[in-house]
Amino acid sequence: MFSSLARQQWVRSSLPVLVAAVVIMTAPSLVTGSFWQRVIILALFNVVLAMSLNLVIGYTGLLALGHGAFLGIGAYTSAVLTTTYEWAFWAAFFVAGITAAACGLLLAVITLRLRGHYLAIATLGFAVIVYQVLMNWIDVTRGPLGIPGIPTPPNIPLGNGTELDFGLPAAHIYLAGAFAIVCYVLIRRIVNSPMGDALRAVREDEISAKSLGIRTFAWKCFAFTVAAFAAGLTGSLYAGYMGILEPSAFVLTVSFTLLAMVIVGGAGTLVGPVIGALVLTIVPEALREVGPEYRMILYGLALTLVVLFFPQGLVGIGAALRSRFRSSSRSKPDEPPSDSTGTGFAKEVPVDAS
Amino acid sequence: MTLLQLVLNGLVQGSLYVIVALGLTLIFGVLVKINFAHAEFLMLAAFAGVVSIDTFNLSYGVSVLVATLVGASLGVAIEFGIFRPLRKRRTDELRPLVATVGVSILLQNLALLYFGPNPRQYQSPYMQKTIELGELYLSYQRAIVFVVAVAAICALFVFLRRTAPGRAMRAVSQDSDAASLMGINVSRIVLMTFVIGSALAGLGGGLLGPMLVIEPTVGANIIVLSFAIVVIGGFGNVNGTVIAGLLVGIIESLVTGYLEAGLSSLAIFGVLLLTLAVRPTGLIAERVEQNV
Amino acid sequence: MRKPRSKTLAAVVAGGLMLTGCAGTTSSGSDDAAGERDSSAPLHIGAVLPLSGDGAYFGVAGRKGIELAVEQANAAGGVNGKDIRVTFSDSVCEPSGAKQAAEKVISDGVNAIIGDECSSATLGLMPVLEQEGVATITPGSSALAITDPGNDWTFRIMPNEVMQGADLAEKAADELGAKTAVILHENTDAGIGNAEVFQTFFEESGGEVLDVIGFDREVQDFTSVATRVAALGDVDVIPTYTLEGQGVNITNALAQANVTKGGGGEAIQLGTIWLPLGFEDKVAENAAEGYVRIVQFDPNDPNDAATSFLADFQQKYDEIPNHISAHAFDAANVWIEAAEKADSTDPTALRDALLEIEGFTGVTGTVTFEENDVETCSCPNERQNIELDTIHYIETQPGGDLNSLAW
Repeated sequence: MFSSLARQQWVRSSLPVLVAAVVIMTAPSLVTGSFWQRVIILALFNVVLAMSLNLVIGYTGLLALGHGAFLGIGAYTSAVLTTTYEWAFWAAFFVAGITAAACGLLLAVITLRLRGHYLAIATLGFAVIVYQVLMNWIDVTRGPLGIPGIPTPPNIPLGNGTELDFGLPAAHIYLAGAFAIVCYVLIRRIVNSPMGDALRAVREDEISAKSLGIRTFAWKCFAFTVAAFAAGLTGSLYAGYMGILEPSAFVLTVSFTLLAMVIVGGAGTLVGPVIGALVLTIVPEALREVGPEYRMILYGLALTLVVLFFPQGLVGIGAALRSRFRSSSRSKPDEPPSDSTGTGFAKEVPVDAS
Repeated sequence: MTLLQLVLNGLVQGSLYVIVALGLTLIFGVLVKINFAHAEFLMLAAFAGVVSIDTFNLSYGVSVLVATLVGASLGVAIEFGIFRPLRKRRTDELRPLVATVGVSILLQNLALLYFGPNPRQYQSPYMQKTIELGELYLSYQRAIVFVVAVAAICALFVFLRRTAPGRAMRAVSQDSDAASLMGINVSRIVLMTFVIGSALAGLGGGLLGPMLVIEPTVGANIIVLSFAIVVIGGFGNVNGTVIAGLLVGIIESLVTGYLEAGLSSLAIFGVLLLTLAVRPTGLIAERVEQNV
Repeated sequence: MRKPRSKTLAAVVAGGLMLTGCAGTTSSGSDDAAGERDSSAPLHIGAVLPLSGDGAYFGVAGRKGIELAVEQANAAGGVNGKDIRVTFSDSVCEPSGAKQAAEKVISDGVNAIIGDECSSATLGLMPVLEQEGVATITPGSSALAITDPGNDWTFRIMPNEVMQGADLAEKAADELGAKTAVILHENTDAGIGNAEVFQTFFEESGGEVLDVIGFDREVQDFTSVATRVAALGDVDVIPTYTLEGQGVNITNALAQANVTKGGGGEAIQLGTIWLPLGFEDKVAENAAEGYVRIVQFDPNDPNDAATSFLADFQQKYDEIPNHISAHAFDAANVWIEAAEKADSTDPTALRDALLEIEGFTGVTGTVTFEENDVETCSCPNERQNIELDTIHYIETQPGGDLNSLAW
């Protein structure tokens, strides 16, 4: 039915996903000690957050600096629904995503005509507002007191009489892992399809794109909405895992951390944000030993140095190393990878021309 | 009377915000980049001021000078360390911002490591007394700050309009290519901008110091408010930044006085988003130009 | 170009997880149930504290207290002849961070924990304690829920909101004859909780709360807050629940607005142990006059433990200790005493020994721990598992001296 070439390609592109799935399935038994299991779960959440942010920053070329806000919106929506209103977890999960997506759409509409730094500051302002709302809307969010006692997802019965017990970290690893894989596949779908082409066209040259008939505003909204949706869902899982929420978990620093993961990993690539998220979640934990101040110092230092010297992120380093070792390769060392990084070097125009 | 007092409080506080925001707006006007570590410059300058008083027994006035110099030096450092290399490489506009986010994290935690988390007191002899103007009152310190802020703003205006380097700066911010064609050494102007802008941050640290709690996170608290001011006033728009800063100070004061303190941030950022949605070049745009 | 990328992804994910796997297995060591720990092992305290970020002020102070206590104990021969070990882990003052830090130290083999300073962080790590069977003494969290009946693994050493707030409110009404109050507090769970407690008890004593003003920890300028208080007219007391930094600014601002005694007004500020000794030196001259607050030990008549603690702390760190360090110091010494009483360093045995402690005399006063039984506790106001005699009042005189009030 399918040509052998097509089948080969399907296997080749699905292989990594399958490998990742296998690794995640076996992780709970490989990694013992709830400390490192927690690190994995948080790393997987960050993978999804970084991938979704990358859709906006890397593929659509929009500097979104407030992604943490959508995580917070999703987390709090889910928490409030499951605690105060005693909703079922998965219903709350879905609504959390929708709510965050709606806010993403709202932000996109507000900032539609903005570009560059103006857009960045707008998203920053949005994140601050969300944080202030979480802190001050005491009737709903309990403000600084936070929301304790958030229920975990309900146990999932597996076929052979056992069940997936969400009281234990292993179940959360499976859930987060499956979620991350699904998101990866979906985002890859988008990126490798004509939708991805449209987004990239917006990134490279918005005016030309428009002249080609691409509805740039619609695509911007699309990117923001999808990214926010993913972040909102992640927020729900995060709330269910943590069991207790505080507004302080959603300060601006979170957004900057996510930004760093995308940039350090390599914006505009599929793998970049995954690498960035894994590295920037796991390494600081490994550095706990060194001393907490050093942890943050190294973090800041690493971020600065990577941005200064490895603009294409860790992915770029990997590609450079690979081309150096490929003896018979005739590829030019500065040839950009197929999905290029960077958001274009446009002269600063605050508002879109039309 | 309460209303007048609150407005006065707001004006004074606002003038302090203006000092900090001006540095950001100048740099953006010329460079079209944001230095996210700007507030950390203020923090480090304030620490320098504290140290010069505590350890070296200098007077308050000298400590303010020290703080200003520290600010200026940090500006030079970041221009040579971050902005210039990235400019040469012609990477996208996001990178310097992200790099300065990294620098900001780095500086905050280095300060935490070196100075410890205990808040320091920046002693000033002017905190004790107050001036009474009828039923209104103002502490000496704040009066001084207000006067210095006004003086600095006026000096800046004169500089930008009447002196050659100042005019060169404005030329570069309007169109750097044209400016360099006219024989202006753009690199030098950029460096000068960083010096002035960061010196302002340092000055802010020295002046605000006695009224703040000096700890490593003090910069983080100020930076976002400064952004709001710069946007509302218009990126690169010096007039606008001044007016926006005063406005923000007054809004803050009135909201705290009559409503809830927590709502003032909400109000200010609401105005921010409104500005961006409706008039992104700033509410107070004097000319409809991309940059000043 | 896509193939290598996807393979890279797989390799990276696999590699990353392998890495954590290796790291996980080497450090997991004795993270199994408490019962399997070596019960003759030396006392190994795990300290879960906010060592970086916003809460670093607390964490670093707590750390100093604990290190001093352990150093002194080891110099005196340790516990049962063995040196005491301490492992610190950073919670960044957040529930998730605290959970992580607690699991980390437990997997490192600690048999007793001190932590956290931040209330919500402590609440966040409590499930871990239940699961692993290791007890903690919180040296600085004030939330009531932490030592509710049924929480068998948590203890506190600092007087909680009710203990301080109720007392303060009643004394204000009775001793100071206060009829009106304006409450100032930081917008954290500790600040809000304390404010609510004060309001409840003050109103019960016949007082009237004119206004409750809350603000974020980032707020630096209180001129307008002071203006607002001034506009309220006759205010007798101003209970203030903030940390030292904001506290200094508030006191200065209130004095400048002629509201408090220090500025020529009539109002008296009230405070809790959050303000360290030495506060008076940091405010503008005389601004703190008349300030009445609770301190962790009476500076004019400190007990022996407090005197030597003050001296030793200053010698080691060259600074005056605040209540955070004092409570952490006491917490460490409580564990040390428990370890000496217990016949093993198994965490459960240590916890049980803790419950047996009667009348431990620390720097901050006398403490007795007791079982927190739903049936027998005098809930809801006193649903705690300690008895404290640690509340002392002082009043600031003009000129900065502290007058001890015999209330």
